[in-house]
Parts: sequence; structure tokens; C-alpha cells
Amino acid sequence: MIIRIDPENSETHALFDLLDFRGQRVLEIGSGDARLTWRYAGMAAHVTAIEPFSEGILKAQENLPDELRDRIEFHNTSFEEFAAASKPSVFDVVILSWSL
Amino acid sequence: MVHAGMVHALEEIHRLLKPDGCLIDIHPFIGEFIEVHQGRKITFAEAVPAFNDEDIRQAEDALARVVQRQLFLIERAAPFDFLIYASSVVELRAYFDEANAFDESSRDEMAAAWVLELAPRVEEAMRAAGEGAEVVYHEKAKISRMKPRR
Repeated sequence: MIIRIDPENSETHALFDLLDFRGQRVLEIGSGDARLTWRYAGMAAHVTAIEPFSEGILKAQENLPDELRDRIEFHNTSFEEFAAASKPSVFDVVILSWSL
Repeated sequence: MVHAGMVHALEEIHRLLKPDGCLIDIHPFIGEFIEVHQGRKITFAEAVPAFNDEDIRQAEDALARVVQRQLFLIERAAPFDFLIYASSVVELRAYFDEANAFDESSRDEMAAAWVLELAPRVEEAMRAAGEGAEVVYHEKAKISRMKPRR
């Protein structure tokens, strides 16, 4: 199957136009298979990616590049559960990734 | 997310963000098309019926509500085009089927159904466009940067 998703990088350009990820602690909500996560994670200080559907998390973990292993953590959970267990004021950036 | 869940989620995001942090929201905007592209030329385009408007309206409403309550300030927002290319209708349909496996919204499911309904006309347009033509799912989206207010 040959599928090309956003080969123009319109989403990434729009994202980088709004934010400089360097040194940022990021929470991505609805990371899916991490299609968007890979685009910015190399610049961020740390990424917490949450996704309630295990298929997405499994695919993301399979494709996790070695150089990002110590920088990204995936959680197979809902945002409600994640937020309930989280301390306040811990993230520089929260991304709602097509998930609202 | 349903509407009450969206507002609550935005409240929780406000709590998790540092005071000088920001929320980036990316969500679909009204306007989706099935197209046939031959290189840079669009040889076929048909708007997808507005069956997803309610989801989008709820998301917009939830964002407006937290802005009105002064939880967030919208610093910037911009539209962009998000395109998914496939070499056949069958492949595009398969992509949506896979996406549906980890998506609780009906959006992709509805889009997949519409792709199927349009399939005969799209395939005819692809044949007419010649070798190398691609079927494209063209989605309008919006990205916003929002600052938490304390």
C-alpha cells in the first residue's frame, strides 16, 4: 500500500511556525502512531505521548528511533486518567493532536 | 471527546501547563474534498458532505468557552491543508480502515464510506487522468496557539 500523508509537510510547517520546540517539555494528547511526534521530538527536551488506543501505541513503539528512546515516553491511557495522576504545572507545551 | 469532556480536558490542560507554557490545538475545520491529482493538476474534486460538522462545532464551542472564561488566550491561529495521497481508491479506503482501528470518532469511518460511494466516479477520473494519477483526501485543518491565563 502506497499512502503519502501530508508530503507537503503543511502540518509541520504550521506547527513550527507557531512554536520553537527547543528545550521544551511536551505532552502530546492523542499521539496515535506518533506520525506527528517524530517530526518535533528531536528538538524537544522531553515528550510524553499519550494515546488511549493500544494499536497506535504499539505501532509508535515499534517505530521509535534509537536516538529518541531516552526522550520520549508513551502511555497507553486516556487523558482523563493521565491528568488525574499528574502534578500541576509540569509541561511547557501541550499538543492536542487532532484529538479535541 | 464529547463536549463536556472537551471543556474538562481543556481545564485539566490548563492545570498541567506551566504559567508561561502554551497549548497547541490541531483539529479539522469544515471542508473536506476527494480529489484526483495528476502531478500538480487537479482533475477531479468533490466536497465531502458535511456529516462531521457537529464534531467540529463542539470542538470550536469548547475552545470558545475556555477563552470566554479567561482560562486561555488565543495568541495565533492559522488554517492549513492536510492531504493524504493514495494510488487507488482501494488503498485510500484501506488507510481509513486502519485509521479507524484507533480512532473513536466517526470521522474517518464516514469519510471511508463516502470514498466508497464516490469510488466509481473517482476511478473513472483516475483512468481519464492517465498513469500516475492519485486519489487525494484533502482536509482543511486549523492550528491554534493558546496561552494559559492565571
